[in-house]
Parts: sequence; structure tokens; C-alpha cells
Amino acid sequence: MRKTDELIEENNHKRELLNVENEKVYEDLLLYLRTDLRIDEHAGEEILMDLLDHLVEAQEDGKSAKELFGESPQKYADELIENLPSQKRRNVFLFSASQVLGLTGWFAASFGMISLIVSFFRPVDNSIALGSLLLMLLSVMLVAFVGVSVIFKIIRSSVFQAEKKKWQAYVKAGLYGAAAFACVVLIAWLFQDFGPVIKLEWWLFLLIGLVLLAFSKLMYKWSE
Amino acid sequence: MALRSQLLKGVLDACVMAVVEEQPVYGYELSQKLQAIGLPDISDGTIYPVLLRLQKNGFIRGEMRPSASGPNRKYYFLTDQGQAELEQIAAEWLEIAKPVSQLLKRGGGYEKDR
Repeated sequence: MRKTDELIEENNHKRELLNVENEKVYEDLLLYLRTDLRIDEHAGEEILMDLLDHLVEAQEDGKSAKELFGESPQKYADELIENLPSQKRRNVFLFSASQVLGLTGWFAASFGMISLIVSFFRPVDNSIALGSLLLMLLSVMLVAFVGVSVIFKIIRSSVFQAEKKKWQAYVKAGLYGAAAFACVVLIAWLFQDFGPVIKLEWWLFLLIGLVLLAFSKLMYKWSE
Repeated sequence: MALRSQLLKGVLDACVMAVVEEQPVYGYELSQKLQAIGLPDISDGTIYPVLLRLQKNGFIRGEMRPSASGPNRKYYFLTDQGQAELEQIAAEWLEIAKPVSQLLKRGGGYEKDR
């Protein structure tokens, strides 16, 4: 497991020690920091752990999260972000590559499995148009990238707002997500048979998929 | 405003480095020590942006270690670079501290010394 993931898991356990009020303030801060994609993830998790440890001890001494983070938690969080190191390019590359390989791997592996299952009931056509496949993967990645940035932005703008505003933001983010998904489906439907067609056995798809997934896991592990 | 916060940052940095120099500490310990010294306003959340800034500049470094109470904590150590920086800030501060505090008492005491 990556060191960063260990920190995240430890954070999940330790947060249970907070009382309701402190937990709310802390989780807002956590969401705000984690959805900032500019900062180094590991450094971000380290400071979140520091703050959580501090808050747990302060709580035992009868202090509140408000006393720790001041009157404006957002201002405080911005001050932290300003002083955190930015995400290393190496990590951005490894993370993106692992996502792309993972996505392609899942696609190939499920295609293989599905055609195996379907083949029990009727003959299947295992041919696939490479152009359509490529276009589909590209659009998924583009939509995922734009979608995540937009959705994170909406969430970040509402983190420290009242509950009602938060819900509005989540609904808005959900609609964006749905629209993005619809775009991918539309593209897939419009360009069904595009480019050269290859025909492979189901187990070959499965094998390719598993290899890609293994590479994806490896790259994720290399990122910090 | 810029100069004011600049000045404050320098003083904060020096205070935190001076505590870390004495003994490596983790966040909560640091805030307790600052409070005991008589600086309660910079003791709580304020220390974390300072710790991040000092780390970014290479003046301190953090290391996970088991704490006295048991669980692992991130302890902060002063680096050689931080040592040099602290000495410089301390020298500058000591040079201005006395005349400035005398001036800011505003009893006109500084005129008598002329």
C-alpha cells in the first residue's frame, strides 16, 4: 500500500475520535484540501494528519475546532494551501497513466468476460472497431478530466457554506456528471464502426485487460 | 499591510525555529510550548502554515516517530540551513528589539537619551 493511502486510512479511523461539531469542521477542511488538485497529495495528507492529531488532543483539553482553525476555516485552509508544495509532475504523470491503463484494462477484461458468457447462449461476434474503441477511450478520459475539475470546483466553492447551499452544489455537480456521461454514450453511439476492425478470442481480451490492470496498479504504486 | 505581515511572518518563523532548536517537537507539543512561553495567540492553528512554510524553505524537516504517549507523530527537526537562518533572524531581532520596544512605549523616553 502507498504511504499516502496508509495516511488516508489512519485518518479515517482517527476521525471517529472527534465529537460531532469538531468532526464537521474538520471534514469540511479535509474536503477542501483534498479537492485541491494543485497540491502534493502526500504533503496534504501529512498536514491533515497533524491537524487531526492536534484537534483530538485539543478536544481532550476542552478546546474546539473553531479555536484551532479560527473564525474563517476557509481562510485558514487557503493559508495552508499557499504553503504546501505543489504536486510533482512525476506523480501527475504516473497517476494519469495508471488511470488510463486501468480504464482500458477494465474495458478489455469485461469485454472478454461478457463475450464468454454470451457465447454460452448464442454465437458472438468478437470483432471490435479500433477507431471507435480509441475514440471512446479518449472521450471518456477527456470527459473524466473536465468533469472532475468542474465537479471539484463546484464542491470547493460550497464546502464552508450552509447546508442548503451545499445540497444545491451537489445537485449541480450531479447534473454535470450525468451530462458528461451522456456525452460519452452519444459519442459511442454515433461512431460505432469506425477504423480497422480486429477479431480476437474472448480469453485474449481478458488477458490483455489483466495485463493492463497490473501495469495500472504498478504505476499507481510508484506514484507517491 | 505587506510589510506588516512580512514582519510578522519573520518573527513567527523565528519563534517556531527557536522552539524546535531546543528539542524536536510535534505540532501539539509546539503549541503547548509557545503557550507556556507566553505567546498564546500564535500557539494554535497558526503554527501549521508556519511549519509548512519552514519545511518548504528547507529550514525544518519532519519525521514520523513514536511519541511519549504512544502513537506515531510527525516530529520537526531544525536543519543546518534552518540553524543559519535562525541565527541571522535572532541577530537582526536583538539589534532592533530594545530600541523599538522603547520607542513604542511612547513615553517620550527615547528623547531623554539624546
